[in-house]
Amino acid sequence: MKKLYFLLGFIFFAVACGDDNTGTGNMPETTESFDRGEMLVFWADDIILPAYSNYIADLDVLQESTDAFYANPSLSTLNGFRDAYILAYQSWQQVSIFEIGKAEEIGLRNFTNIYPANEELIISNLESQNFNLILPSNFAAQGFPALDYLLYGIEDNEDAIIQVLSSANGMNYTEALVNRLRNLAGEVLDDWNQGYRDEFVSNDGSSATASTDKLVNDFLFYYERFLRAAKVGIPAGVFSGNIEPDRVEGLYSGNYSKQLFQAGFSAAQDFFNGISFNSGRQGTSLKQYLEFIHISNDTEVDLGVRINDQWQSAESALSGINANFRDQVNIDNSEMLRLYDELQKAVVLLKVDMLQSLNIQVDFVDADGD
Amino acid sequence: MVNIKQLFLFSISIAFFASCSDDGTIVDPVDPIDPVVELVNPVSYDFTRNGASTISFSGQTERIGMATEMVNALSNFQSTEEQLLEMYANQTASGGDANPYTDSDLNASSKSVKSKVAASKDFFSSNTVESAEIKAALETLIIAQVSEVFPNQNELAAEGAAGQIADGSSVRYVSAGGLEYNQAVSKSLIGALMVDQMLNNYLSPSVLDEGTNVEDNNNGVVAEGQVYTNMEHKWDEAFGYIFGAPGADYADPLNTLGGDSFLNKYLSRVEGDDDFAGIASEIFEALKLGRAAIVALDYDLRDEQADIITDRVSEVVGVRAVYYLQQGKNALARNDFGAAFHDLSEGYGFVFSLRFLRDSNTDQALFSKSEVDGFINQLTQGSGFWGIDAATLDQLSNDIAAKFDFSVEQAGS
Repeated sequence: MKKLYFLLGFIFFAVACGDDNTGTGNMPETTESFDRGEMLVFWADDIILPAYSNYIADLDVLQESTDAFYANPSLSTLNGFRDAYILAYQSWQQVSIFEIGKAEEIGLRNFTNIYPANEELIISNLESQNFNLILPSNFAAQGFPALDYLLYGIEDNEDAIIQVLSSANGMNYTEALVNRLRNLAGEVLDDWNQGYRDEFVSNDGSSATASTDKLVNDFLFYYERFLRAAKVGIPAGVFSGNIEPDRVEGLYSGNYSKQLFQAGFSAAQDFFNGISFNSGRQGTSLKQYLEFIHISNDTEVDLGVRINDQWQSAESALSGINANFRDQVNIDNSEMLRLYDELQKAVVLLKVDMLQSLNIQVDFVDADGD
Repeated sequence: MVNIKQLFLFSISIAFFASCSDDGTIVDPVDPIDPVVELVNPVSYDFTRNGASTISFSGQTERIGMATEMVNALSNFQSTEEQLLEMYANQTASGGDANPYTDSDLNASSKSVKSKVAASKDFFSSNTVESAEIKAALETLIIAQVSEVFPNQNELAAEGAAGQIADGSSVRYVSAGGLEYNQAVSKSLIGALMVDQMLNNYLSPSVLDEGTNVEDNNNGVVAEGQVYTNMEHKWDEAFGYIFGAPGADYADPLNTLGGDSFLNKYLSRVEGDDDFAGIASEIFEALKLGRAAIVALDYDLRDEQADIITDRVSEVVGVRAVYYLQQGKNALARNDFGAAFHDLSEGYGFVFSLRFLRDSNTDQALFSKSEVDGFINQLTQGSGFWGIDAATLDQLSNDIAAKFDFSVEQAGS
């Protein structure tokens, strides 16, 4: 039904354009005729808000299992705590792309998932009980990476971990971290529900400050920096020339780094392809936008198809990789490099070809590193 | 900065080519001492006398090492004012011997950063008032890092309040006006130490030709106890400030471009901008040919190379000043204050450094004291970076770029 409506829209457009639009395409005119507003509504209502709700529900479970652990510290409640932690960490991957609005303002990603965790700082905060989690210098001492360290890495066996976590200092710090994750996420969802959703949806033009331009940039920034580089490229030594296995996501829990990557990668693909978070139905998307341009300008290739094909290559590169990226890097890093290369090929398609087609300017720069 | 002088030199070099002998070497037809000294321009920065290398710039390598330790210590919250000032002056407050560095060779050295700040012969030998002012200005920034920023290590920065601010996932520590003093000091040294010494001291005929340097060089008279002539050594000292960082490949320094935190690093950054690609090799080739010209007793060719170096090194600083002001402006437009303040703090240092640039046409300063003081004032007045607007940053960028052959757009991205 959606597609039919879309097709009708296109026919109407083609007729209306008449002779002016034949030949090699009149891109700006064409792109502006795609209904960005409809896409924004789908993004907000079918992807972003449900993803946040799901993340927050999982953070609620994390809080409950934290409480359960402290009510009765044991191996069984520790395992419950750990399971809830992994589930919430995975759900985080589905909202990390959307660093816009309140999330951007408060720097949600910085407070949620900066890794590697700073072990020394975590221990010093825990022991001194003198910590202020709003400070940027505490980015690497909070969020999921810090919980990963506390739940799996602070001691080398479960009994000792339970002992540290359930000490007065351990409890105070751990609870502060869990509560902060929940509160920050809540602040962002509340803002979406209390006006930002409408502001986001109605800002449907095409300029550097329009919602489409901004979120597409946020999506690219996420893909390039936090998916491609942080999860794969940096541990594989792409930028430093030396493998850095200790910089994988979920270093201490170990066996979840692939799962966390997959969650983020799937979320990126679903965003691009317009897959509704809850129902899985397909809505107005970047893929459709590119298809629209492909048809109306009679271009040789449908860029959206090429991007998906490229992601399929990345998925197949991923399939042979160990669940633990750290082990993979140590045992056979070439497989990680291959995954990186396939992810990188899509960066070119997205950042150069797609942005050109959509007439969107890149709004972020490569930091010069000093 | 292409000019009559260069045009003139160019026509001379055409005349040279006309007099090239068949085997391709260039002879200097006017040299009074040895009319057929062959100019040998080696591939690497490699010059010898009787089989021994005549190259020496250990003092520059040491000062770059001292400046590096000092700048690193500025971001260490354990550092005291006393330690930092000792690293600046390599002596105690009362003038006694100090050992402030982790590298014992630096502690053993009698050299210092401070003594060579704003200390060139051409610009400051009879302008000691300004020299003292500049030395003190850097000292003030160093002291402020300890007295204003360190106590607020665990505070969030805000307008009028020093503290920390996020730049991406990095943490920056800024003054009440948003200035990172460590960046300001580090980038100011590029002008006040490296560029000033290079352009206004060692590459200047007033230093190269000082005393009996010309006569000695003509006659191959080496400095006492050394393999090199004084003139050769002075030229090498200029080389050292841009290509002589500890650990660099001195013979082929383009291989280790970006190996320090100062002039070399930002030459590498400008080289990385397509609009200016080739500048690193141009500077290196001019340093090498100028050094070869000294060996060949061809002082016109030497000065021609000094002019090229002067123009290009000045350009490096000008480009980076505009670059950071523009990057700061762009970050402010995104409300990314942390990134903006970081860029503007680096920009502050490069603007400060403008004072030491040299116009090869006139051999005078490219920017006057009052111009640079005015720029710095515009950057820091009122609430500093918290209140600065895009129009001011554009106007500063335009004022700076107007002195060069590049546009704000070319430098700014």
